[in-house]
Amino acid sequence: MSSELARPGLWTRAQRGSVERLHIRLESLLVLLALAAVMAALSPYFLSFSNFLNILLATSTIGILAIAATFVISAGGLDLSLGSVMGLSGVAGAFVTVNLGVPWGLGVLACILTGALAGTVNGQLVTRALVPAFIVTLGMLGIARGLALVISGGRVIYGLPPELLYLGQGRPFGIPMPVVIFVATAIVAHCVLAYTRFGRHTLAIGDSEGAARAAGIRVDRHRRVLYTLSGALAGLAGMLFMARINSGDPTAGLNYELTAITAAIIGGTNLFGGRGSILGTMIGALIMGVLQNGLNLLAVQSYYQQMAIGAVLILAVFIDQYQIRKETRS
Amino acid sequence: MGRRLATIRGSALALALAVMSTGPGVLAEDGQYAVLMKTLSNPFWGAMGQGVEDGAKEAGIDYFIQAVESDQAAEPQLNVCNTMLERQPVAMITAAINSTNLLPCLKTAQDRGIPIVDLDANLDPAVLEAEGIEIAFRIGSDNVAAGAQGAEYLVSRLGAEATGPVLVIEGLSGNITGQRRAQGFAQRLGELAPGLEIVASLPGDWDRGKAASITNDILTRHPDLVAIFAANDGMALGAVEAVYAAGLGDQVTIIGVDGNSDAVKSIRDGRLNASVAQLPYLVGKQAVENVKKVLAGETVPKDIAVPTLVLTREVLEEGSEPLLQYVK
Repeated sequence: MSSELARPGLWTRAQRGSVERLHIRLESLLVLLALAAVMAALSPYFLSFSNFLNILLATSTIGILAIAATFVISAGGLDLSLGSVMGLSGVAGAFVTVNLGVPWGLGVLACILTGALAGTVNGQLVTRALVPAFIVTLGMLGIARGLALVISGGRVIYGLPPELLYLGQGRPFGIPMPVVIFVATAIVAHCVLAYTRFGRHTLAIGDSEGAARAAGIRVDRHRRVLYTLSGALAGLAGMLFMARINSGDPTAGLNYELTAITAAIIGGTNLFGGRGSILGTMIGALIMGVLQNGLNLLAVQSYYQQMAIGAVLILAVFIDQYQIRKETRS
Repeated sequence: MGRRLATIRGSALALALAVMSTGPGVLAEDGQYAVLMKTLSNPFWGAMGQGVEDGAKEAGIDYFIQAVESDQAAEPQLNVCNTMLERQPVAMITAAINSTNLLPCLKTAQDRGIPIVDLDANLDPAVLEAEGIEIAFRIGSDNVAAGAQGAEYLVSRLGAEATGPVLVIEGLSGNITGQRRAQGFAQRLGELAPGLEIVASLPGDWDRGKAASITNDILTRHPDLVAIFAANDGMALGAVEAVYAAGLGDQVTIIGVDGNSDAVKSIRDGRLNASVAQLPYLVGKQAVENVKKVLAGETVPKDIAVPTLVLTREVLEEGSEPLLQYVK
C-alpha cells in the first residue's frame, strides 16, 4: 500500500481524474459495467438496443426524481415528498386537460407548477417556520397523495390530448420521448451542479451551513430555490408518466422517494450534504435500472430484486466510506 | 485496492445472481406464455398463480410468470411488462394494477401480434376501445355478482324484515374491483332488505389493519351494528378481530370476498361467517387453457366469467359442493 501512495499508479490517476473532471467515482462506473456484463452473460435478451432503451425508459421517471433528490440532499436537506408530488402533478395535469379541457401546453405547465408549488411550500416551511425538512416533506408526502386521491376521486383520469401523449409515447428517431427529456434534464442538471456558482453554493451549504453563511451565501433563499426546483422536477416526472399511460394516476410514484434517494446515494451523494453529482446519481439510477431489468429478464421474483438493491446500496456506501478513510489516512 | 474491491463487488453480485436464477423458466424458448400478475404476496394471487402452473402443466405449455412488489406499484408493473416483451412470448396474460397503467406495453404487444388476455378483468373496455387495443378475451369473476351474493347470504341469515346498521369496507380507493363488489352488495341489499341500512362505506385499502380500525370506529358510533361486508377476505379478517375484541362476535355477521385459505380457516373456526369465493385457481387454470385454444385458431368467448361460491361453515363441513375442490 505504501508503494501505491509513493507513486500513484494508472488506476489512482484515472480515479482522481474522473472525480475532478466528471465528478464521479470510477468504481461506480465499473460496477455498472460489471453488472451489465453479468446480465449479458446470464440472459440472451439483455444485450439489444431495444432493451437498452427499455432500461432508460424504465429509469426516466425515477432518474428525474433522483436528480431532484441529489440537489436537495447535497445541500444537506431531504425531500421525502418526491413520489407523492409526482403523483399529484400527474393528476393535476390530467384534471385540467381532461376535465377542464384546457390546451395541452397548459396541462404540461400545470404538472410542473403543481410540483413547484408543493416544493415552495416545503421550502418556506423548512426555512421560515424552521420545521425539520424530514417532518415537512413527510407531511407533504401525505398531503400530496391525499390531494391526488381527492382531485381524481380515487380513480385514474383517462384520455389526454394527442400532443401531450407525444411527450410520453412519441419516438423521435426511435428513441422514446421520456428518455430524450430525461437525458436532456440530466445533462443540464449536471452542468448546473458541477460547473455553476449555484451548484457550488449548493454543495457549500451542504458542507457547512455556518461557513456558507459566513461566506455571504444567502442560505435560506438558496434552500427555498432548491426545494422549489425539487418539486418542479417531481412535476416533470409526473407529467412524463401521465403522458406515458394516457392518464393521471393518483397512485403513481408510490414509494419512489426512497428509490430516488437510494439512486442518489449509490451514485456517491453524501446523505448529510456537501458532496453529490448528477452524473454519479445517473450511474446510481442505472445500476438499479440494469439490476431490475436483468432480474426481470431472468424472471427472478420481485422479492429478490428488493434484496439485491438493498445490498447494492449498503455495499456502495461501504466502499465509499472505505475510500474516504483511506484518503484521509494518506 | 479500489480495483480489488470493485472486482469483489462485481463477482459477489454475479454469484448472487447465479444462485437466484436457478429457478424454473430461466432459459426462455420459443412458444412461451408470459404471465404478469399484480403481486404474489396475497393468497388470492398465489392461488391464481398455482392455477396457471397446473393448467400449463396439464396442457404442456411453457410459461414464465412475474409480479411486482405490491398491488399499487403501477409504473414498476409497466416496466416489467415491457421487459417481458423482450423475451418474445407468444401470448401475454396480464392482471393490470389499474385500467391504464399497462396501456403502452399492451399496444406494443398488439403491434407485434401477441394476443393479450385480461386476467381478472382489470381493464376497462371503453379505454381499450379508445386506445385501439383488442384483447383475445377477459377472464375473471363477476365482481358485481359476488357482492350481490354476499347480500343474498346476509338476507338469508337475518331475514328480509331485518333492520339495523351495516358497514361496507371497500378496497383501495379507486380500484374498480373493490368498487364493483361494494356496489353489487349495496344494490342487492337495498332490493332484498331495505331495513338494513348501510351507515358507512369506506375504503380499507385492502389492508387488514386499516379494516380493523375502521370497524372499531364504526362500532363506537353504532354499537348495534348487525353486519359488515368487506371487499376482500384480508379486510374481513381484520373486521373479525375488531368485532371479537369488542365482544360482539354473536351480534355482527361478517362477510368477505375471495375465499382464501386464511378465510377458510376462520370460517371453520366459526369466526368469519361467510366468504364469497372467487376461485382464483380456476381463473388461472382456465386462462391458460383458453389461450392455448386462441393460439390454435379456435374461437373462445370474449368474456369468460368464472363462477363464485358462497363459503360458509355448513358448505365447508358438508364438502359436497363440486366447486370446493378449487378453493385453495
